[in-house]
Amino acid sequence: MAAVVDPDEDLVRRVGQGDPAAIQALVARKLPRMLSLAQRMLGDAVEAEDVAQEAMMKAWKQAPRWTPGKAKFDTWLHRVALNLCYDRLRRRREVLVEAPPDRPDPGPAPDRGLLAAELGVRVETALKALPERQREAIVLCHYQELGNIEAAGLMGISVEALESLLGRGRRALRAALADLAPNAPEAVGGRS
Amino acid sequence: MNADRMRELAEAWGGDLRRWPAAERSAAEDFAATRPEAADRALFEARQLDAALDAAPRVVVSTALSDRVIASAQGAGLKARAAWPGLRRLLWIGGASWAAAACAGVMFGLTLTGDLERQAQLDLVLDQASIGGLDDMAVLG
Repeated sequence: MAAVVDPDEDLVRRVGQGDPAAIQALVARKLPRMLSLAQRMLGDAVEAEDVAQEAMMKAWKQAPRWTPGKAKFDTWLHRVALNLCYDRLRRRREVLVEAPPDRPDPGPAPDRGLLAAELGVRVETALKALPERQREAIVLCHYQELGNIEAAGLMGISVEALESLLGRGRRALRAALADLAPNAPEAVGGRS
Repeated sequence: MNADRMRELAEAWGGDLRRWPAAERSAAEDFAATRPEAADRALFEARQLDAALDAAPRVVVSTALSDRVIASAQGAGLKARAAWPGLRRLLWIGGASWAAAACAGVMFGLTLTGDLERQAQLDLVLDQASIGGLDDMAVLG
C-alpha cells in the first residue's frame, strides 16, 4: 500500500519532541477545526469546548508515538473527536428518553426579511434537527472540507452510501429553509 | 451523464464540482461544457444551499481555551528537549578540555617557578662565595 502523504507529519514529529513552537502551531491549526466539528455535531458551545480539549489531549499523548505514512494525522484526530461527540450524543439520548425535547423552532414567517445572523441561526437549527448520520456527512464534507473518500472512510461507509446520506440531509435542509430560497434559473428565465 | 444524474450529484455533493467524487467530476464538467443551461439549473439550488450553510455562525476559539490546550500539552508529558543535544555535548566536552588545559598550565607554571627559584638560590650562594675574594689556595694554605 502506498504511504499516505500527510501535510502534518513534520509538525507532529516536532510536537512529539516537545517543541513548544510546534505545540502552538498544532493548536492554531487543529483546535479551530476540532471545535467547529464538535460545535456542529453537538450544537452546544460548552460541550464542544470539552470535546475539542479532550481530542487535543489525546493528540498530545499520541504525537510521541505517531507512525508517519499509515494515516493522516488530521483524519485520526477527526476520528477521535467524532467518537467523543458520539459518546455525548448517546448519553443525551439516554436522558432524553425520559424528557422528550421541544419541537425545533420553525423559524420566522416566509415574508419576514432575515438578517445574516438570523439566517445563521435558522441554518444551525435546521442542521441540529437532522438525523445524526446525515448531519455528520454534511459537517465532514461541507464544513470540515474533507474529501469524499476520507469522509466515507471516517464514517465507515462507501462513497455511494455517503452520497445517499448527503442527498437526504441536504434535501431535508432545503425543505426546512424553503421559505428563504429565491427562484431557480428555470423559473426566472423561463428556459427549459 | 444526463441532467437527472447531474441534479442528483448536485443535491448530494453541493454546487462546487471540486467537492464531487473524482470519478464523476470529469463527466460533470463535460456535461456543463456541452449543456451549460441544464448544468446551471442542476447546480443552482445546490449553490443556494451551500451559501445558506456558509451563513451558519463561524466557530471561534477563545484565548482561554487555546491557553488551556497549550498548557495541557505539558500535563501530557510533552516537555521541550534541547534542539541540538549533540552540539551541547560537544560544547560540554570542549569546556571540560579548556578547564583541564588551564589546570595543566597552572601546574606547569608552578613547577617551572620552583625550578627557577632553586636555580636562583644556587647562583646566589656561588655569588656570595666569590664576593669575599677568598682564593681556594689561600684558604687551604
